[in-house]
Parts: sequence; C-alpha cells; structure tokens
Amino acid sequence: MPQFDPTFFAPQLFWLVLTFVTLYILMTSVALPKIGAVLDERQRKIDDNLDKAAQLKAEAEAAVAAYEKALAESRAHAHSVIKEASDRLSSEAEERNRALSAKLSEQIKAGEARIGEAKTKALANVRDVAIDVAGSVFDRLIGANADAAKLETAVATALKEHGK
Amino acid sequence: MGLGFRIGAELVAGVLVGVGIGWVLDTWLKTSPWLMVLFLLLGGAAGVMNVYRTMRGMDATVGLGQASRRAEQAKDL
Amino acid sequence: MANPIEQFKIQPLVPLKVGGLDISFTNSSAMMVLSVCLITLFLTLSVRSRALVPGRWQSMAEVFYEFIAGMLRENVGSEGRKYFPFIFSLFMFVLFGNLLGMMPIPVIGFTYTSHVIVTFAMALVVFTGVTVIGFARHGTHYLRMFFPEGAPIATAVILIPIELISYFSRPFSLAVRLFANMTVGHIILKVMGGFVVSLGAFYLVPGVVPFAFLSAVTVLEFGIALLQAYVFTILSCIYLHDAIHMH
Repeated sequence: MPQFDPTFFAPQLFWLVLTFVTLYILMTSVALPKIGAVLDERQRKIDDNLDKAAQLKAEAEAAVAAYEKALAESRAHAHSVIKEASDRLSSEAEERNRALSAKLSEQIKAGEARIGEAKTKALANVRDVAIDVAGSVFDRLIGANADAAKLETAVATALKEHGK
Repeated sequence: MGLGFRIGAELVAGVLVGVGIGWVLDTWLKTSPWLMVLFLLLGGAAGVMNVYRTMRGMDATVGLGQASRRAEQAKDL
Repeated sequence: MANPIEQFKIQPLVPLKVGGLDISFTNSSAMMVLSVCLITLFLTLSVRSRALVPGRWQSMAEVFYEFIAGMLRENVGSEGRKYFPFIFSLFMFVLFGNLLGMMPIPVIGFTYTSHVIVTFAMALVVFTGVTVIGFARHGTHYLRMFFPEGAPIATAVILIPIELISYFSRPFSLAVRLFANMTVGHIILKVMGGFVVSLGAFYLVPGVVPFAFLSAVTVLEFGIALLQAYVFTILSCIYLHDAIHMH
C-alpha cells in the first residue's frame, strides 16, 4: 500500500504542517471573527427586538391598566351622580307629594265645611218652607189661620218621622 | 461498518502501542524479547478495555474507576 | 480493471529538496492547499454580505460554526473556548479532505485523509496538546488518571500499565479509524466502479446492478466522510475534556 511507503512521509508532513498552520491562521484572523461578528450582531438584534417588544408590552399593559382604572373611576362617578340625582328627585317628589296632599286635605276640609253649612242652611230653609206650605194648606182647607206654634211643632215632628 | 472500524482501531492501537513500548524497553534494558511479549499482552488487555469502553459509550475515558463512575452517573440521570 | 490501490499513490508534481529533506509538492499537497483555499473562500465569501437573515451559503457557514461551538461547549465547557479555532480548523480540514477526496478532480484528485501519516500527525498534535494542557492545569496530579481511585494498591502493577497503554493508544486509534475508513471506502468505490465499467461495457443490463450499488455506496461514503470528520473532532473534544476536568 502506498500509505506505508516512507518515501513520501516527509513531503506529506511538511505540506500538512504548512497548510494546517495556514488554515489555522486564516481561521483565527479572518473567517471565524467574521462569522462570529455576524452571529453576535444577529443575537444582539434579536435581544434588542425582544427588549423592545417587552417594553412595548409593558407599555401596552400600563395603558390598559390606566384605561381600566379610568373606566372604573368614571363608572363610580356616574353611579354616584345617578344616585344623587335620583335621591334628590325622590326627595323632591316626596316633598311635592306631601305639600300637595296637605293642600288637598285642606281644600277637602274646607269643602266639607262649606257643604255642612249649606246643608244646615238648606235644611233650615226646608223647615221654613214646610211651615209656610203647611200654614197655607191649613188656611185653604179650614179657612182660618193656624196657630203658628202648633204648626211648627207638627212640621218638626213630621220632619223627624221622615228621617233627619 | 462504523462500529466495526472503531473496535478494530481500538484493538489494533492497543496492541500496537503495547508492542512499541515493550520494544523500546527491551532495547533499553537489553531484555529482548520478554518485555515485548509482556507488553503485547498488556496492550491486548488495554485494547479490550478500550473496546469495552467504546461499547458502553464511555469513549476514551481514561481510568476504569472514573469510567464506571461516569457510567453510574449517566444511569442516575 | 484499474488497480484499486492506485488511487492512494502520491505523485510528485514539483520535486523540491531543502537541505536533504524531500518537500516535493505532490497531488496530496495540492489537495491540502485546495482544501485550505476552499474552506477560507467558503467561510469568508458566504458571510460577506453579513445578512441578518442568512442566505443559503451564509447559513451553511453559520451551521458549521455553531455546530463546532456547540460540540465544544457541550463536551468541554466554557474553558474550551480558546481551543475553538483549532478544533474548528481540524474539523474543516478533515471534512474537506474527506469530501474533496470523493470528487473526480483531474490530475490532483486525492484523499489525504486516507494516508495514515497525515491522520497520525493530526492525532499526535491533538494527543500532545491535550497531554500538555492536562499537565499544565493539574501538574503531577494529572498522573492520577492512570490509577483508578479506590482500587486496591496491589492491582496497580497491572492497571497502571494497561491505563498507560490505553492512554497512549489514543492517537493511534484516532488516526487508524479515520485512515481505515477512508481507505476502505475508496477501495470499495473503485472496485464497484470497475465492475460497472467492465460489465456495462459488454452488456447493458448486468452493469445496472453494480451501478445501482455504486450509487448507494457513494451516498454512504459521503455520509461516512461527514461522520468520520465528526468522530475525529468529537473525540478530540472528549480528550480535551478529560485533560481539563480529569473526570
């Protein structure tokens, strides 16, 4: 086998050392730093973007929190306003109700008093009329004036009999 | 094919190194050929041990105690 | 049929001799130079645009980078970072050697990873480097590697030589594995190709069977080219891990 022929050991080793050392120098000084720089840059960009994304996310979350806080606040505010308004309205309505009912009951009372007055007046009138009518009827039938006192008593009795 | 090559390489290398060391010692101490025979046997043993390590997946870990410990650790994991 | 061993033959293109040392520029040297050029061109041109969203070539270069970086991180840890350029160069050099060896390149077409001296030299560099790193980090304590903790002292006589041989056999098994895989794969391809030619030249139909087989083996060989580069590199990483962490 040519592999075990020592004639070419020396040139093989010489060129191996030469080429490998060249390769090593080229790798350390040129190729590897270049690739490493590209990879580092990409990693940095990715990290940057990740950072930025995290930052944006935090910002968005903060905005959402602020919005929700504002929403809750305004809701509470609206609630209190509504409650206040409705309280005020209901108290006002009650007030008006009370005033109105007081006024109404007053009017009712006055009306009742007026009705009672009118009734007694009317009843008094009825008695007078009844006495007059009974006197004139007595006069026509008998042709003599009736005794006024007796007439009055009779009318009163009749009125009592007919109720009220 | 790859595994066969590895086993062959381990055995051949073990015996080769054993014989080489034996030969050097022999010429130095003028005990030819006894040390060469002894180291041939030791080299065979080393080759077999290397093959054993290769088969257990503990490539080229020097030191049987360390190798077996490493295998134990691997089992624990 | 062409001799299947022929393809491993080294042909000097420019004979050179410096101080009695033969350093001829051969087809093997040419392929190594070609590999280095292609690797460098591929890695630099692909990231030239520095695109944020990578194109096809750029993402391929990035995949290689991330793959080796990840392998080193997983197997060695953060201490392995400074060895990244070496491991990366090693992987690319072996990978391109394996892959370019599959290409029908005229005149210089050759697989340098199918030569044991090349693979052994690389394995030896890894082995020596790892051993030096081990001693530099742990001093003489690194020698504890060769005697398992808790084992009876009496067994040291047997175990220490075995562990030592096992340790020193690392570069050999690393080199032999890559070299043998590449050599055998190329021999199979050559033999199958020979069948296709000799059978297909006379009868159309019988040539189809070895041709189908050849296609399948070619695909397999590409897989092995990748796999062996991976195995070579990951074993280097594992050795490095042992030297740094000692457990």
